[in-house]
Amino acid sequence: MKLLTIIFRKELKDMLRDRRTLFFMIIMPFLVIFLIFNLSMRLGRDMEKRAQEKELQVAVFSAQPLPAFIKLLQTKEKVKIDTRVSRTEINQAVNDGRLDFAISFPENFSENIDREGTNEVPVYYKASTSENEQALGRIHKVLEEYGKQLLNLRLEKKNLAAAFVEPLRIDDRDVSSVREKIGQRLGGMFPYFFVIFCFLGAMYPAIDLAAGEKERGTMETLLVSPATRLQIVVGKFLVVTVSGIFTALTSVLWLYLVFRQSKTVPAEVLSGILKVIEWKSLLLLFSMIIPLCAFFAAILLSASVFSKSYKEAQSIITPLNFMVLIPVLIGIFPGIKLNAATALIPILNISLATKEIIAGTISPLLMVEIYLVLVVLAALGLIFCTRWFNREAVIFRGV
Amino acid sequence: MIVVENLTKSFRLSKEQKKEKDAPARADHVDAVADVSFSCKPGRIFSLLGPNGAGKTTALRLIATMLRPSSGRISVAGFDTVKEAGQVRRHIGFLTGATGLYERLTPTEMIDYYGRLHGMEPALLEKRKGDLFRLLGIKEFAGRRIGKLSSGMKQKVSIARTMIHDPQVLVFDEPTVGLDVITAKSIMQLIRQCRADGKTVIFSTHIMGEVSLLSDDLAIIHRGRLLYNDTYDAFIREMKAKSLEDEFIRRVEEA
Repeated sequence: MKLLTIIFRKELKDMLRDRRTLFFMIIMPFLVIFLIFNLSMRLGRDMEKRAQEKELQVAVFSAQPLPAFIKLLQTKEKVKIDTRVSRTEINQAVNDGRLDFAISFPENFSENIDREGTNEVPVYYKASTSENEQALGRIHKVLEEYGKQLLNLRLEKKNLAAAFVEPLRIDDRDVSSVREKIGQRLGGMFPYFFVIFCFLGAMYPAIDLAAGEKERGTMETLLVSPATRLQIVVGKFLVVTVSGIFTALTSVLWLYLVFRQSKTVPAEVLSGILKVIEWKSLLLLFSMIIPLCAFFAAILLSASVFSKSYKEAQSIITPLNFMVLIPVLIGIFPGIKLNAATALIPILNISLATKEIIAGTISPLLMVEIYLVLVVLAALGLIFCTRWFNREAVIFRGV
Repeated sequence: MIVVENLTKSFRLSKEQKKEKDAPARADHVDAVADVSFSCKPGRIFSLLGPNGAGKTTALRLIATMLRPSSGRISVAGFDTVKEAGQVRRHIGFLTGATGLYERLTPTEMIDYYGRLHGMEPALLEKRKGDLFRLLGIKEFAGRRIGKLSSGMKQKVSIARTMIHDPQVLVFDEPTVGLDVITAKSIMQLIRQCRADGKTVIFSTHIMGEVSLLSDDLAIIHRGRLLYNDTYDAFIREMKAKSLEDEFIRRVEEA
């Protein structure tokens, strides 16, 4: 135990002096979270704002003048009516950006209205221009209101009430609690962060502490010390696990801080979220990080021990990065629920459990099953890693 | 004392290795060390000489417990390297040409680490560290990170790491390779000092100059087999060539 402690403390000190590891543990989570929340959400918000506030170049084609529609369009929306483009030029004008939208009422529009028929009104726009794709809703709103006006005229003519055309009104009543709703939304997003950052936080220390040692020639001198192979492996394993845990916690902390600073998330929403998520849920969430990081540490250290060099370890481990994402993504699919079967699948079980923990609906039995699965897998991984470390062909591969 | 009896170490050949010209057809393993026996006594320097790939490093790694013999037996300071590997490692100091140092630690931290791994009491560790640092001239850079040191400074730290627990048996695997003349000379002085202190010393080299300056006993290994195993004086007496290099080449070519 004493030797294990000595090895652990030295490896931890060594790791904390590695700039690359510190970057992945502290700086990278911040950059990723900051870029995702601040930059991308701000970009999205700005684009939406531009789309909502843009003065639209619109052409309206009709056989007869439609003053009511034109007045509605100009009152309700920020538009500039273009009268220079002819019907035959619609596609070209929209394509080359002279028009944002072209609304073409059919030739027999008024006759159809009088005959109480339905008119199909094409709206021409360019969806590949993302601003116009967002602004399409503005044109639809005006057309729908115009349609309502026409409908009201018909109903008045027939002396019918508005309810005549609405025999059924759907009243959606969501019985899920606020917490459950937050659980569904936040819980889908949360696992991305701590699963990915658990993995990334463990990755570079694992590479450095095994393959890196082989490359630097320090592995031989360590093997000649009184420490047993098991003590050496466990010491390194613990450091890699701690690194993963620390990175996951850092990412959650950055998430909270960036949320607080962000103008894209209203303060009352954030405080609502924090009120709903109890400290017990947070503890449960964080408790899952420990066996998850241990599981990752065992896999990563094994891959690193096998590798001849830092570069080879990176090339083996980098694809694992993407494989870790797959179960997290599957957990977001609708219809995939946490049950006795899915609780057996590592990473997927955490992705599903996170939603239920935040929502406050987690089953204690399933929670126990998840812990057991992860602990057993971590233990098996550590045994495998130790066996690998004892194999001369592996430990001296490339040395 | 080191006693090596009928030591063999076989390695399985990879597919690429089997395709190599000199690998016997259908061979699936190669004997890096084949039926080798020798002994190294306290207070004497044993030189293990051989061309590249002869099996010198393999033999030394077997002695240092890094590898397990395929057959045969090795005892170091009275302990079996397989059954009592932990005890062997407590009594052995191992130095290679690759310094084996942690670049992000300081020399002080490095020596403290290995001292503690060897179970040294703090007071003894401090005293011994101080003595070694004075002897090797490490004090002036003891607080600087090892990555910032010159190769000569690093080798001094390696020596300190090897000697901190005052081992009875010292194993040097081509310790002067890549070093400047001054640093190489200091290594050789250290090896002589170890002999004077009554330690058992074995070192491998392919530099004849070192052999002539240091050796009491000499073994020549080639393709895993011992071609010669006797005292250095006997080797000189039995020489047929004009120089040590020529005599070495003659023996290897005759094998």
